[in-house]
Amino acid sequence: MGTGREASVSLDGVRDKNVMQLKKLNTVLFPVRYNDKYYADAIASGEFTKLAYYSDICVGAIACRLEKKEGGAMRVYIMTLGVLAPYRGIGIGSKLLNHVLDICTKQNISEIYLHVQTNNEDAIKFYKKFGFEITDTIQDYYINIEPRDCYVVTKSFAQSEASK
Amino acid sequence: MGASLPPKEANLFKLIVKSYETKQYKKGLKAADAILKKFPSHGETLSMKGLTLNCMDRKTEAYELVRLGVKNDIKSHVCWHVFGLLYRSDREYREAIKCYRNALRIDPENLEILRDLSLLQAQMRDLSGFVETRQQLLTLKPNHRMNWIGFAVSQHLNANASKAVEILEAFEGTLEDDYPPENELCEHTEMILYKVSLLEEIGAFDKALEELHKKEPKIVDKLSYKELEVSLLSKLGRPAEADKLYRVLLSMNPDNYRYYEGLQKCFGLYSESGQYSSDKIEKLNALYQSLSEQYTRSSAVKRIPLDFLQDESFKEAVAKYIKPLLTKGVPSLFSDLSSLYDHPRKPDILEQVVVEMEHSIRTTGSYPGSDVKEPPSTLLWTLFFLAQHYDKRGQYDVALGKIDEAIAHTPTVIDLYSVKSRIMKHAGDLTAAAALADEARCMDLADRYINSECVKRMLQADQVTLAEKTAVLFTKEGDQINNLHDMQCMWYDLASGDSYFRQGDLGRALKRFLAVEKHYTDISEDQFDFHSYCLRKMTLRSYVDMLKFQDRLHSFPYFHKAAIRAIRCYLKLHDSPKSTAEEDGMSKMAPAQKKKMKKQRKAEERAKKEAESKSEESTASGVSKSGKKNVKPVDPDPHGQKLIQVEEPMAEASKYLRLLQKHSPNALETHLVSFEVNMRKQKFLLAFQAVKQMLKLDAENSDSHRSLIKFFLKTESTSAPTTEAEKLRWSVLEAERPSISQLQNKSLVEVNEDFLGRHKDSLVHRAAYAEMLYLLDPSKKTEAIKTIEDSTDKVVQTNGAQREWKLKDCIAVHKLLDTVLLDSEAASRWKSRCAEYFPCSTYFEGKRSSVMPDSVYNSSRKSNDNGDAPNHPMGQTEMSDGQVEAFKSLSVST
Repeated sequence: MGTGREASVSLDGVRDKNVMQLKKLNTVLFPVRYNDKYYADAIASGEFTKLAYYSDICVGAIACRLEKKEGGAMRVYIMTLGVLAPYRGIGIGSKLLNHVLDICTKQNISEIYLHVQTNNEDAIKFYKKFGFEITDTIQDYYINIEPRDCYVVTKSFAQSEASK
Repeated sequence: MGASLPPKEANLFKLIVKSYETKQYKKGLKAADAILKKFPSHGETLSMKGLTLNCMDRKTEAYELVRLGVKNDIKSHVCWHVFGLLYRSDREYREAIKCYRNALRIDPENLEILRDLSLLQAQMRDLSGFVETRQQLLTLKPNHRMNWIGFAVSQHLNANASKAVEILEAFEGTLEDDYPPENELCEHTEMILYKVSLLEEIGAFDKALEELHKKEPKIVDKLSYKELEVSLLSKLGRPAEADKLYRVLLSMNPDNYRYYEGLQKCFGLYSESGQYSSDKIEKLNALYQSLSEQYTRSSAVKRIPLDFLQDESFKEAVAKYIKPLLTKGVPSLFSDLSSLYDHPRKPDILEQVVVEMEHSIRTTGSYPGSDVKEPPSTLLWTLFFLAQHYDKRGQYDVALGKIDEAIAHTPTVIDLYSVKSRIMKHAGDLTAAAALADEARCMDLADRYINSECVKRMLQADQVTLAEKTAVLFTKEGDQINNLHDMQCMWYDLASGDSYFRQGDLGRALKRFLAVEKHYTDISEDQFDFHSYCLRKMTLRSYVDMLKFQDRLHSFPYFHKAAIRAIRCYLKLHDSPKSTAEEDGMSKMAPAQKKKMKKQRKAEERAKKEAESKSEESTASGVSKSGKKNVKPVDPDPHGQKLIQVEEPMAEASKYLRLLQKHSPNALETHLVSFEVNMRKQKFLLAFQAVKQMLKLDAENSDSHRSLIKFFLKTESTSAPTTEAEKLRWSVLEAERPSISQLQNKSLVEVNEDFLGRHKDSLVHRAAYAEMLYLLDPSKKTEAIKTIEDSTDKVVQTNGAQREWKLKDCIAVHKLLDTVLLDSEAASRWKSRCAEYFPCSTYFEGKRSSVMPDSVYNSSRKSNDNGDAPNHPMGQTEMSDGQVEAFKSLSVST
């Protein structure tokens, strides 16, 4: 931990009443303005989308979308994961991701994946630590940023007997 | 009752009474009709039928029947009692009392009527009558506890506390030794404590303490026991014992400021003004040092010393106080400390301390002289504090810089936007302030406070329709604006009325201001139920407190504000004849604005019609469904159009003026509006009274000066007195003139010059001088304008640049130049000068205000980019899942 004092980090869900917090985070974290569908998906995903509070201040969020695979199995797509700059390096991103991974195991999700720009080594390193692997490369995924390619980063869960 | 009827009808009559008491009105009505069939003129039945109808919302019929009943049987106490009840239900207490008295004349020992009468007397504060009735009740039924207590309380209220004590003692004499039974312990406790507090009130401290100690085993409220005991010990001059007891109380609640105050008094270390000699400060400091070691969890014990400590020791203490709170992130820290800003030196010290912290955290990540790393949020809260600090000191630029930095640091903290909104308001940009408050509101739609704050800012920016829509988000569904009224939401009434007033809609403005007055009447009515309830429940100390509170109800700020504003509406109505009032408001507006206004009006009309048809629907369905009349009567004058049709606005104004004079005699504004009203009514002696009061309260106030000059200019210029009344008035003024020290054989011109001489450096006073100079001699206009323009704004050189001129004073000066001195060139010179001083002011069109086309808050610009996502190439589709930037610098923790 980078700080000398302990401050509690807690998670809270995203609802209509506080969705603005997520919007505020996204405006500073990402160079993209998200459309309404993004927020609708995030809210619909329930437990898979969380805000992180650092001593009662909202400082980060993970937003996911639930997708149905062919055959009926569910997979999770991480739309965004980010923490405000001053609050990085104290384990908040890990806490958010761990939360989602926990729920995945509990709910028998088959896989979880996301897109990462090919030069974003920090992110790739981060996800690898949690058992994600690069499974694909999509050319020209981004339109206005260089490099334009992205990796698909995936983590599969061993399916328990009962679910299949 | 019903004695004159044959048995069958007499039984029916009893049924009416019973049905009334059990609220089965239909049944009662049936029985009444059955009697009336045979005895159509039976008075008591007619009365009871009326009373029943009254409960079924058929008022006119009710009054007719009850009156007829009395007429037919004037010797019946029942008829008179019913008549009294009817008046009481309409809050016509004076009339009701008369009826009860008539009933008692016929049946002097009727307990029920006596009790009802006593309640009304308590409500109307007919205290001698109250005592009398209570005495009668006790004489008739001395075995009722309530009658003893009621008599004692009536004596107490009638300023005879020692008599009240005697009565309570006599009552105690009737009690057995093992009194009270288990289930009445609390009531008995209350009675003892009431008695002790009565003894304290009459100054019999010894006896009070003795009584308290003697009854200790019977008192279950141990906290009140201790608080009373400690208060008595202090008053008896037994500080050592009081000290000990205060410490016991503090260990129970170490955050009660009153205990600390009491403790200080024990050591002779208390001053009303908060000023202490250095010797005493040292002693106080030592006292609080030891207390803080004892009560480590108390915040009061840490906060109080900041009030008396000075200079170096203050600096040290305040730094120590602030640090943990910034680390923890306590948004209310600034308001906790804001009282320190009244002190001449403390704000500078605070600034120095917190700026040092800011610097240290930026460079080292820790507080000065510490090597403990602060969490990232400490910088945020430090900036947040500084923004409020600079706002308080009027350095809006610096304040905005700090708050913007805080927002960039952590954009999710709602308080940041609220504070920025407040800074913009102070800097003079109400539109921006409203936009920011709305931004804050959107961040937590479940928070009523920020919703309300946003509504207030919108009203301040005259966005009434938007404000109403926002306010309604937190009202009960279906009953929108009415609901706000029912909640007695007075800040809303005031802010909304102010906005209508500014927009020249006097009808709606008056409607709102008078609504506040109505709330106060309701609050006053609300005490009625407690006259019987409190005697029964024995909560006597709180009951008497409540009555005292009610007696000074109209001195509370909301009423004061509403009354002043209502009077100002009436003054405006008086000054501009009815029919043109509205046109007048319109003609002053720019054509574009006029158009907008008309459009708005039309839209409102439409909305109104829709609402009306809707409410009609709901009324109809409401009745048919429930069959009950829970439908509120529709307001026949929702926009106050009738209110502005008053024949004599000054007579209306006088009503509210009297309440102000009675309850807010120490407010200068009370006498200022009194002056304005009475001058218009040509009541010169009353106007003179007002001038004298103003001079007494604040002789150097610019409004006092203006009124003084205006008054004597007016009265001296009127032609020689002709009528008797005028002669009398003239002689009174002649006799009074020497008592005004400002005048002393001087001409008004000289008085005015003297005034300027005393206040050469004050803009407000120079403006008042100039206005009067022009009034006394219109040819001096150039001189008057020069006086204003020669004013210089001194920058206070304590710490950074801080303006002495206030925005609102500068606006007032601009209006003076523009509309009184009628020099548009000087006005526009003044405007551009102030635009530089107040760059955020929309009034002066400062270059950073929202009226500028490039402002983010400019409404015309905003509508352009409201099209959301300005063609961002990644604005839609899956591609928008950019995990880009956030990870560039995301260092993963290990």
